[in-house]
Amino acid sequence: MSDIQLYLLEVDKDKAEAQQVAARSARRLESKEAKLIDLITSLEPYINDKGDANSRAKSVGFLADVLSALPPKILSGQERRLLCDFITGRIEGDLEGIGASARALIALEGLARWDTQSVQTVVRTFVDHANPLRQFKLQTERYAVVQLIDLLLAKYRDAMRKLHEDDAEFMPSFIAFFEGEKDPRNLMIIFSLLQVPMTEWDIRAHAQDLFDSVFNYFPITFKPPPDDPYGITAQDLKDRLRACIAANSDFAPYAFPQLLDKLDSTSMNTKRDVLQAIQACVVGYEAKTINLYSVTLWDALKFEILNVQEEDLAVESLKALTLIGAKFADSAEGPLNAYLRPIIKECNEHLEDAPTKQSEAAGRILYSVAMAGQTVADKLVKGILPTLFSLHSSSESLTKRRGLLEVFNQVLKAYADLEDVQPGIDTEAVQSFASEALDAMERALIHAPKAEVSFRLTSLNGLSCLVSVRKALSDAQVDRVVDAVTEIVLHERVEGHGDIRTPAIKALTEMAHSVPHAIRDRSVPAFMVEMPDCPSEKDVPGMVLEAFAQLSTEGQVFDTVAVRLKNKYNAARHQSAPVEYRRALLLALLYAFTFGAPAREDGIVRSSYYTEYAESLVTDVANGHREGSTLEVIGRIVNTLLNPQGVHFQTTVYSKNLDWMTAANNKDNADVSLTPFTLHYYAALRPEVTDAADIVPLLQTQASLALHRESHPAAAGSVLRLITLLLNKFANPKTLEPTLKATNLEVLTLLSQPVSPATANLALAITKALLLQGKTPTLTTTYLETLLAHLPTAPNPLARNFTTLLAPDNLLTKQNHCLISGLYKQKLFAHTLPPLTDAIRTADPEQKPYYLVALSGILRWLPYSILEPRLSSLIAPILQTLDLPAAADGAHEAKPSALTILESTLMHAPEMLEEHTASLVSRLLNCTTSTATDTTINNPWTLRAKALQCLALCPRQLKSEKVMPFRRQVVRRLLVCLDDGRRGVRAEAVRCRGAWLGLGEGEEEED
Amino acid sequence: MEADKDNANPTIINPSDLPSRRRSAPTQKRPGIFDALAPAYPTLADQLSSPEASSDSGSSSDEEEREEIDEQEVFDLISTISDPEHPLSLGSLGVVKLADIAIMPPTSPRSRISTIRVLITPTTSACSLTTVIGLGVKVRLVNALPPRFRVDVRIKEGTSNTAGEVNKQLGDKERVAAAMENRSLVNVVNTMLATCV
Repeated sequence: MSDIQLYLLEVDKDKAEAQQVAARSARRLESKEAKLIDLITSLEPYINDKGDANSRAKSVGFLADVLSALPPKILSGQERRLLCDFITGRIEGDLEGIGASARALIALEGLARWDTQSVQTVVRTFVDHANPLRQFKLQTERYAVVQLIDLLLAKYRDAMRKLHEDDAEFMPSFIAFFEGEKDPRNLMIIFSLLQVPMTEWDIRAHAQDLFDSVFNYFPITFKPPPDDPYGITAQDLKDRLRACIAANSDFAPYAFPQLLDKLDSTSMNTKRDVLQAIQACVVGYEAKTINLYSVTLWDALKFEILNVQEEDLAVESLKALTLIGAKFADSAEGPLNAYLRPIIKECNEHLEDAPTKQSEAAGRILYSVAMAGQTVADKLVKGILPTLFSLHSSSESLTKRRGLLEVFNQVLKAYADLEDVQPGIDTEAVQSFASEALDAMERALIHAPKAEVSFRLTSLNGLSCLVSVRKALSDAQVDRVVDAVTEIVLHERVEGHGDIRTPAIKALTEMAHSVPHAIRDRSVPAFMVEMPDCPSEKDVPGMVLEAFAQLSTEGQVFDTVAVRLKNKYNAARHQSAPVEYRRALLLALLYAFTFGAPAREDGIVRSSYYTEYAESLVTDVANGHREGSTLEVIGRIVNTLLNPQGVHFQTTVYSKNLDWMTAANNKDNADVSLTPFTLHYYAALRPEVTDAADIVPLLQTQASLALHRESHPAAAGSVLRLITLLLNKFANPKTLEPTLKATNLEVLTLLSQPVSPATANLALAITKALLLQGKTPTLTTTYLETLLAHLPTAPNPLARNFTTLLAPDNLLTKQNHCLISGLYKQKLFAHTLPPLTDAIRTADPEQKPYYLVALSGILRWLPYSILEPRLSSLIAPILQTLDLPAAADGAHEAKPSALTILESTLMHAPEMLEEHTASLVSRLLNCTTSTATDTTINNPWTLRAKALQCLALCPRQLKSEKVMPFRRQVVRRLLVCLDDGRRGVRAEAVRCRGAWLGLGEGEEEED
Repeated sequence: MEADKDNANPTIINPSDLPSRRRSAPTQKRPGIFDALAPAYPTLADQLSSPEASSDSGSSSDEEEREEIDEQEVFDLISTISDPEHPLSLGSLGVVKLADIAIMPPTSPRSRISTIRVLITPTTSACSLTTVIGLGVKVRLVNALPPRFRVDVRIKEGTSNTAGEVNKQLGDKERVAAAMENRSLVNVVNTMLATCV
């Protein structure tokens, strides 16, 4: 059998096999075993089979497959030309196999570049004889043709253009050729290939037809099928279509009227598409074209802004207004003036009755249009501000003045933001109004009644904007603004309604960005006056310090703020100021280094800060100045400045402090009050900086402190955290057991004696260190099992404190160079869940609470995604947790944690709870009862509120037939909650009751 | 273009001028910014102290200070209701005002029933939707307040041409109940209340 016969047999059954056959033919041609002429001849009976169209099409397919499999340079130029003629000749007489013909031609073109003549013949053949393409029913056939045309347009720009230039009739046929295509894959290519004639050819005569041929598809409403293998989205199509619409200025007479017509559509999606298309057109078309439509566009777009239907439509419309302005910004004045005239007129009209929605919209419009560039902004200023200020000065109404100033602020904001885009813009236009504005706003801020909050806030905001517009104000004027705002921050004392200190502080911080020198010269000294060296205990200026610390968020004044705080702290210390004041100063410093903007080198805080700020603090501590309340803050400052530093720097610090630290942590004579500092200090150090020989004695000391000394709970807590930290960071996992034994921290030994609260906590602290480290899994598991085994016998405080195993600790972090295993939460969960749930099922009622508390303690810190797979076994224990008597140790922490999980479950997997609806609803209702109603119950108000939140989710998340039976009961029980003693609970009760009242309403409507 | 609305461009009150509880709370109580620096997680240290003291975020001080339902709370309940023709809240349109809400204690020592009176100010005196707004306010309060309150919603004197008729309707239990049987009316009211969260 010949290859063609085999191919015809296989092609419908087994595509791959057919390809093989074609490839074999190709190899024969390549090795000269067969000649091209033989191949063609062998096709003859099938390719010309008058009675069987199918066979003709398939034979062309064979030819295409053979040619695709052929490497270049096998066929001579003459052979290729012959083939080309053969295929195009066929098309003239027979359209069967049009797709295969196109594929064959693509393959031929791939073998060697064509000349102009061939390109034109091929294109003409298709356009003249296969027109319109939609007559071919198979998408794949049309796809091949479209690909061929796309290829030729991409590679033979001149040949294609000549085709159009030489024949006026070509373009109409070319447009008609693609008409009616509906397949998204084909359309993606057609939209793309049509951009070549649209942007590169002179198509003025055919603009309307060409435009209509693509605009017919507007707006795209395509929805990809659920398992679409081609991955074409509606957005892809929209993007390409939009590029077509915006491709040529000659489209404008057709594009704008039709787009604006569709802007009246009731479909928000259509409007979105229209607005984006308008933006693209404004960018794509020439300025002189846009000039013809600028006013029409404004008239249509303004409605989207003045009467906002959807916020994003307003935003897109504003963007379009900016783009139009930008189009004219650099050209002659005429078009820009013509565009701005109606805008100025309209906005001025809306100013008349400010403040309204429209006057607010006018502010947005002015901002957006001004953002087109400084020349545009200047014209707006000249057109708007005279009216604005004359209205302002002629009005007595504070509300009206506020409305006007809000608009003014938008204009200022545009200048400030333009400066970011084009630094060094000329702000002369604003300068002429700046003094008047400054007077008005300063007067408003200082003299307006304090209850006029919005008026004063608008003025404050305006002053901040004025300062941020470069050169708008003179230096003296800037000082006036800074003084006025500083005055509010420091001296205004309004309680409740009227208090604008917080926004004033924010404004001051913003101003520090544009005029740091004024803040340094005016504000900082004023702040210093309010911070005496040694205030009395009652007069610690906490609010002033808070405000001052916030200035540190601006990098340019950071150092000033930090130095002043440090000096003030030193002065306070020398004059023995109250410890609250010194602590507040240290906290301010810590705030500055944590949330402020200290200078950085290579991304880390400069090491010189440690030398300048932390070192002297540490020296004081070394010299015995150790007060509990400041020591911890000092530790944290040291930690913040030291932990990012490199090994070299840290080593120097470490060796400098080693002697006195060792002495202070002497085993027999340890200073437990130092522990909070030691904790933060060691947290900062990199493991390689220390020596194991230094750590072991330290651990021994802390172990004995933990077990044998009665100390203040806070200090004892630091001891335990320090033990966890040291074990995690510095203990070598390979020699962990000997280390634990040498330091008396072996958990099995600890728990082998009667368990005291101190031992239980120590055991948890040690286990946590190992768990986080994740390097000694066997030992960790043994410890966990032992702890679980002790739950019923040594309950207090073991069950309640189980939660600390997973509780995050802000010192045990990678930033502090701790070893944190990525999977420790999963590990703990996997090891403890089965024994705990088993125990809960079988334990006697007295012991059960301990297991429930331990379980909820662990669940409290687990992300929902980890516990989700095990939810089915968790629901029952979680619901039982809600039944814990209030007196049970740890019930207060366990219940909120249970509610949190129920809430997540209701949100993410409500079906898990459906079978438990009855017990869920009744338990949640029980959690909402307050002591006022029933004195035996003690549900804290936060728990009541949380329970109501969960209960409110039920009607929304659970199937209505499941919750409907409880509607009446819940609605009635909630009446009591509406009268709860706490406002927060009442608010939740209203929400919850609304959700249950609304239950079933949707269905009634359908009846 | 907005001819179908009675008052197409009403005056809007700036949100920062609306009365709110947050701003009227004394500033001392609010946590300082430095508190954010303190660790937020439980450590073994918290748990070492007695369980009652550590666990309690409100229970001990919980019931002793009862926060009574006051005018501000009523205002907060109704100020977020949407106007039926503007996408704006009744509070920001000045339709409901804090000063126009009054809570009157029980009239006799034996009665438990207090009365809440809310006066409504329509945006224009000819506002045709006044009744619907009144109905929305009434429904909201009846659903959200405990039953020991009687809710009295009226139109503020001199602000509406139809005040007498509307007041009669809103005061009549039967007519309110009948109105809430009307599907399309219920839908309007529900849409108005949908923004109360």
